[in-house]
Amino acid sequence: MSIFSLARTGSVLRRARGGASASALERTGRHRGPRDGEWRWALLFLAPTLIGLAVLSAGPIIATLGLSLTSWDMLEPPTFVGIDNYTNLLGDARFLTALRNTFFYTAVSVPLGLILALGLAMAVNQRIRGISWIRTMYFLPLVTSSTAIAIVWLWMYSPTGLFNNLGSVFGMSPQRWIANPTLALPSIIVMSTWQGLPANVIIFLAGLQGIPSEYYDAVSVDGAGRFARFRYVTVPLLTPSIFFTGILALIGAFQVFDQIYVMANPGKPGGATITLVYFIYETGFRNFHMGLASAASWILFLIVAVFTIIYFRTQNRWVHYQ
Amino acid sequence: MTVAPMPASSPEASHYRTSARRRTSIVVRRLALYTGLTAGGLAMMIPFLWMVQTSLKTRSEVFASAPFSFPTGLHWENYTNMWNALPGVTFGTFFQNSLFIATMATIGQLITCSMAAYAFAVLKFRGKSILFALILATLIIPFQVVLVPNFILYRYLPWPYSDSGNWIGTNLPLWVWAFFGGAFGTFLIRQFFLTIPSDLADAARVDGANPWQIFVRIYVPLATPVLATLAIFQFMWSWNDLLDPLIYLRDLPSYTTTVGLAFFQGQYIGNWPAMMAGALVSLLPMIILFLLAQRYFVRGITISGLKG
Repeated sequence: MSIFSLARTGSVLRRARGGASASALERTGRHRGPRDGEWRWALLFLAPTLIGLAVLSAGPIIATLGLSLTSWDMLEPPTFVGIDNYTNLLGDARFLTALRNTFFYTAVSVPLGLILALGLAMAVNQRIRGISWIRTMYFLPLVTSSTAIAIVWLWMYSPTGLFNNLGSVFGMSPQRWIANPTLALPSIIVMSTWQGLPANVIIFLAGLQGIPSEYYDAVSVDGAGRFARFRYVTVPLLTPSIFFTGILALIGAFQVFDQIYVMANPGKPGGATITLVYFIYETGFRNFHMGLASAASWILFLIVAVFTIIYFRTQNRWVHYQ
Repeated sequence: MTVAPMPASSPEASHYRTSARRRTSIVVRRLALYTGLTAGGLAMMIPFLWMVQTSLKTRSEVFASAPFSFPTGLHWENYTNMWNALPGVTFGTFFQNSLFIATMATIGQLITCSMAAYAFAVLKFRGKSILFALILATLIIPFQVVLVPNFILYRYLPWPYSDSGNWIGTNLPLWVWAFFGGAFGTFLIRQFFLTIPSDLADAARVDGANPWQIFVRIYVPLATPVLATLAIFQFMWSWNDLLDPLIYLRDLPSYTTTVGLAFFQGQYIGNWPAMMAGALVSLLPMIILFLLAQRYFVRGITISGLKG
């Protein structure tokens, strides 16, 4: 049982040496004694988490895979259909639309959000009086629900709304921003980008404030201009923040639902804006094709997993940790 | 603000003149900075301003007038109309439902995440790092993957007080999960617990305190700021959530603010003043919370990238 014992010395050493070598020291068993059996305490503290992990996340992921191989309307017992759901999905025009929209949404909104957030973070990274009040204006969308925001933007995008009003000032003809299948998704992306900005700005701001001013001083001495300082100091030193924000944005973008539900409900215009999660919701919880919905869920899971892994693989090439 | 050194050779008079000019240019730049930043901030707030002004207009004014014209009068009746628009319920009911669900979810997460965080930060046991990695891995899993099995699970859990006889149609699926841990909260609090010097716990241990007592009497009180951060975020997530309430709630009186608002929007298409009033009212609690506790929001995002 001594393996489990937390030697007091071990803990101190771990802190001192950064965690690596402490466990080796404990394993020698020099500090066995009064704290044997701490795993029982660990079990007590972790009991809710372990149950949750098994019943609410790990178990259901496996269950989804099983269900995706069945046909089930929740009335009759499920019947095994093999990979039929997957092959059917790949021939389903609505699913393919959802898939294409999700990729488009992600491919546009992630880079757009990051670039704008970086610019904004640099703009509000000032040491001036009252800056926290100014930042509050920029941060406000952070706490808003996508549902309420989508309704507000639906009105801004409406034929008589703000965008057409402003556009008419500049001689632009009125657009049907949301009802036009070509403009609908880009319009939703603009809205989501606005709403997602504050979180990214906050992360970048923390990153910017972590850059030691000596670096800037050093390149200034070398005669570097504003752009060179940005290119050779800010960007490289900010890559960890960019990486971190990127992964969050990527995962979030693949899961977009609320604004699609409000703006596309019920799937208008002609399903032009439906996304994968909307498809899952509609298939599973409106039409009760649980097998098909599970298969779509697994496809979503695989897409997110593959992109996350690829993204992490690229890390060595462009992320510089100080 | 790096100030370039003055050329040593410049005569006294010219020196003063230059620094006076420089001082003026600094003031001008400051002014430009404030103007630019405030203008940008106002641009960022356009949707909010647009929402507020529409919510105070009449329907005919909304369609007739130019953008950002002031309403002819403050038509507060949009708010009362919106509040009572749906049959048999008011928005007050939705607020109560959201408040209950968000509060319960917050309590659940605070308790179980801080417990798990203590185990991962302080206790030593075999498989700790693997288990912690496993929990962190659930962060990148899109939760929609577990939507169907969880729905089925809740359908099998009996509940005598609901029409269905199970948890579907009740608010239980929306907050009971929170009493079974969570990756974000666990990670957030663990990071904080790791910074607490172990001397305190050691002293308590010498006095005969067990891990539970050390957790409750030392770690939890010290972690108040980070617990507040988690509380604020969980409350916000629950308050703003749409998909889960949409799936589990069946009748109007049980709706949360978001589902109620989305339903209301479907019923009152074109009535923009009432809809803006509804959107504003549903956003208000979170906006007030944000204005009161901005630094907790900022801290939470900076530490762990939590977001809405």
